[in-house]
Amino acid sequence: MTPGKDDKEQVHNRIPMLRAERGISRRDLAAALGVHYQTIGYLERGEYSPSLHLALRIAEHFEVPVEVVFSLTPFPRIGAPS
Amino acid sequence: MMSATRKKAQDRRTRRIQDLDAELEERMKGRYTTRRSRRTLAGLGAAVLSLLWVDAAVSWVLAPSDAAMITNFVVLGVLLVVGIPVAGQLVATTRGVTAKREHELDERQLTARLQAFRTAHKGTSVVMLAVVLVTSVADRDGRDSQIPGAALFLILFALLVTHLLLPLVVAGWQSPDPLPDEDDDVAGAS
Repeated sequence: MTPGKDDKEQVHNRIPMLRAERGISRRDLAAALGVHYQTIGYLERGEYSPSLHLALRIAEHFEVPVEVVFSLTPFPRIGAPS
Repeated sequence: MMSATRKKAQDRRTRRIQDLDAELEERMKGRYTTRRSRRTLAGLGAAVLSLLWVDAAVSWVLAPSDAAMITNFVVLGVLLVVGIPVAGQLVATTRGVTAKREHELDERQLTARLQAFRTAHKGTSVVMLAVVLVTSVADRDGRDSQIPGAALFLILFALLVTHLLLPLVVAGWQSPDPLPDEDDDVAGAS
């Protein structure tokens, strides 16, 4: 089955959770990555999919593998049965 | 290798832009947050640009005459009084996506800039095609044609301004809803 445009381009992420867990604001993360703080917001809302370079830098910033931050399928909700 | 003076100047510019950005975010809070308001502003920008073309057409038909001159001054007045503030608002709304240098934008902004330039380029191509068609249809006197110099100048001027400012108008039209500040998010959630 050919995925629709939205399915094809949808990249899910855990940036809000990682930020909350580490107490980092959008502006701090944006400054650390050298992007506009609204870009972090659009990323979190799934309105913008990052380049591979930015995705890797975000993962590096949180010191986790990139697949912990980004996924092509939705992340399971915390507390949901696996 | 970049010279020390150039590096210093670039650092100064970066700091100035960061300060301006911070002030801009503060000033633009709550303004043009809806797509409708941003598109109205972009529409106003497009209307001001199209006025230049009306001016060129009036000059083509009426120049040299008082009516052509008066139209010219009226359009110039509208450009100064309405056009410049509208352009300023568009630059602020788009966060300088088309105004800043490429290295001052992040990848999302660069994508938005590219999209705006691509659409505007198509628009400018259509405008140029229309100008070629209209001028060839309107002027059928061949070697005896007497096109007013003012009209020629105004067509070129309108083309230049359209080429320069259409990307800004398009970027304003295409810009996504700005996200509320995190403090507003928290306030909204509690």
